[in-house]
Amino acid sequence: MKVVVLGCGTMGSIHAAAFSRMPDVTLAAVCDIDGERAERLASKLGTVRYASFEEMMNAVEADVVSIALPTPLHKPYVLKAAALGKHVICEKPIAASPEDAEEMIAACRANGVRLFIGHVVRFFPEYADMSSRIEAGAIGTVGVAHAKRIGSHPGDATPWYADQEASGGVMMDLMIHDIDYMRSLFGDVKSVYALNRTGPSLDYALVTLRFHHHNAIVHLEAHWGYPGPFTTAAEFAGTSGVLRYDSSASNSLQIRRAQATASEKKVAVPSSPSYRDPYYLELAHFIGCIRSGAEPIVTEEDAKKAVEVARAAIKSAATGQVIRLDAAEVNGEER
Amino acid sequence: MTTNIISVGLLSFAHGHAYSYASALRQREDVKLAGFWDDDADRARSVAAQLGLTQFDSLQELLASDIDAVIICSENAKHAELTLAAAAAKKHVMCEKPLGISVDEMERMIAACAVNGVQLMTAFPCRYIPAVIEAKKSIERGDIGEIVAVKGTNRGSMPGGWFVVPSASGGGAVLDHTVHVMDLMNWFVQSDIVDVYAEAATLFHPELEVEDAGMVHVRFESGVVASLDPSWSRSRSFPTWGDVTMEIIGTQGVISIDAFAQKSDLYSDKETKAQWMYWGDDMDAGLVDGFIHAIKQGTEVPITGEDGLKSARVALAALESSRLEAPVKL
Repeated sequence: MKVVVLGCGTMGSIHAAAFSRMPDVTLAAVCDIDGERAERLASKLGTVRYASFEEMMNAVEADVVSIALPTPLHKPYVLKAAALGKHVICEKPIAASPEDAEEMIAACRANGVRLFIGHVVRFFPEYADMSSRIEAGAIGTVGVAHAKRIGSHPGDATPWYADQEASGGVMMDLMIHDIDYMRSLFGDVKSVYALNRTGPSLDYALVTLRFHHHNAIVHLEAHWGYPGPFTTAAEFAGTSGVLRYDSSASNSLQIRRAQATASEKKVAVPSSPSYRDPYYLELAHFIGCIRSGAEPIVTEEDAKKAVEVARAAIKSAATGQVIRLDAAEVNGEER
Repeated sequence: MTTNIISVGLLSFAHGHAYSYASALRQREDVKLAGFWDDDADRARSVAAQLGLTQFDSLQELLASDIDAVIICSENAKHAELTLAAAAAKKHVMCEKPLGISVDEMERMIAACAVNGVQLMTAFPCRYIPAVIEAKKSIERGDIGEIVAVKGTNRGSMPGGWFVVPSASGGGAVLDHTVHVMDLMNWFVQSDIVDVYAEAATLFHPELEVEDAGMVHVRFESGVVASLDPSWSRSRSFPTWGDVTMEIIGTQGVISIDAFAQKSDLYSDKETKAQWMYWGDDMDAGLVDGFIHAIKQGTEVPITGEDGLKSARVALAALESSRLEAPVKL
């Protein structure tokens, strides 16, 4: 299977590197308007690079287009790839609005191609482990759950993130991981209440979700502009136990060098090395679904609903009101 | 030292904090613990036997004695009548939280103490946690710029007893556990709350008549937003009773408080679960000191009745919000 990667930033580089390591997958090309960035990645991974999508698609016979562009570009390029009859893998969030997401989903169906959205948290071993323990009943029925996702402001290094219109802000871009994860556990969201404060290099949100088919109260925290290391955590309190995970308490390796430079000392970067790369697992799963025709662990409908919830959160924070969402329409194509 | 001894009576041991207040009072040379009264005869017998305190058979008898002050640790629903009785007898009052179970009765408590020239203090011991005191100083120094948001938790174990009887408690986890951290939020943020939105439900112990789970959200006039988890969500298997945590988000940084992080991890075959053994400072002693000191000096108590009302009002609004499924303006 031949895959091309569109966008050679942080996520595009991860996609390209994963595809280049996959058996029976060829990384046929990478593409970025920043020629230098594309060249660096292409030469590192032994593939060719293009500066324009059209040029690449004319030159390369691809089966799959993997899109890792800024959010506002997801829709136009998903539509272009679908029109060319290519399967599409696209980074989260699927689009800025559920309407755009629906249009993208419809276009892919109309063109007979698959669409996969990179909600990678479901593939992280720590989150997969929590899911399996909850599903096995280790803590009974979940009553209250918390999730945390905090780190530096990506807009400081990559300006489009700081543009609320473009990225949708911390709830649409970062918290959406936990929105999708909680949906994977508790199903469709019934109501959303959100608090959000923004400022220079700061976007902080607290969001509470209730669900149509589960009684859990879920509280999400997301922070762009946190002065410490990137941290994720979750806690589930159930009728017969508590399950919790905190990335800051599960680093399996710390390397402290006596000869470290001043800048290294300032920012300690702990790590948790693993044989399992969640991005590789996610992308390989999507490729496997294309081969087998199977439904993915996270569907394009899931991705659309996560955007719906994030949009509701943005609206709630702006109005101070609780936003209610309808129950999922019964749709033959849904799981 | 002997020239200024404060004589204190204890009204009810329904709330377990009475035991630690009694112990803090007894360690002081400037306090005479005159005795106690309790309307539950069994509990009174056990307190008298256990602590060797003088037992008064009637409230009137204790209030008629020459005590200067009382500490009220009754069921929540009795705070008002006991405070009114003590105020009428010209005794200073420290009342367990929540100060009352309706805004109206709390206003009457505050007014009665004012009219009778006695002080009313609300028992919020969390103000005396060293980490909390240092956080307050850090905020005042401007270490994190301006506060924009606060995320708090005061999770606990289901207490049972009168706490889960609506007529005695006035509410479950949301009333019991909102007020402590809400008081700290009020103290840190120094702005009035505009509105409250809350979820509340009985999710951990379905047999209860009160809520045991909740999530409380407030918006302050200054623009600060905050959330608080007051749930009785700690299982029997959890290594400790609960927590008090706060993430204070500022324009220039973040302060994290984990009030009971000063602990040892104990693994003992006597209990087949891990246990967190707290070795940090005793906040109740600090609270009692604040009360006694103010009475001796004739200065205003450090945590007033108004402070108690301010936080309990949020808890009551939270319960109303969850009933209405909508934000409630304060």
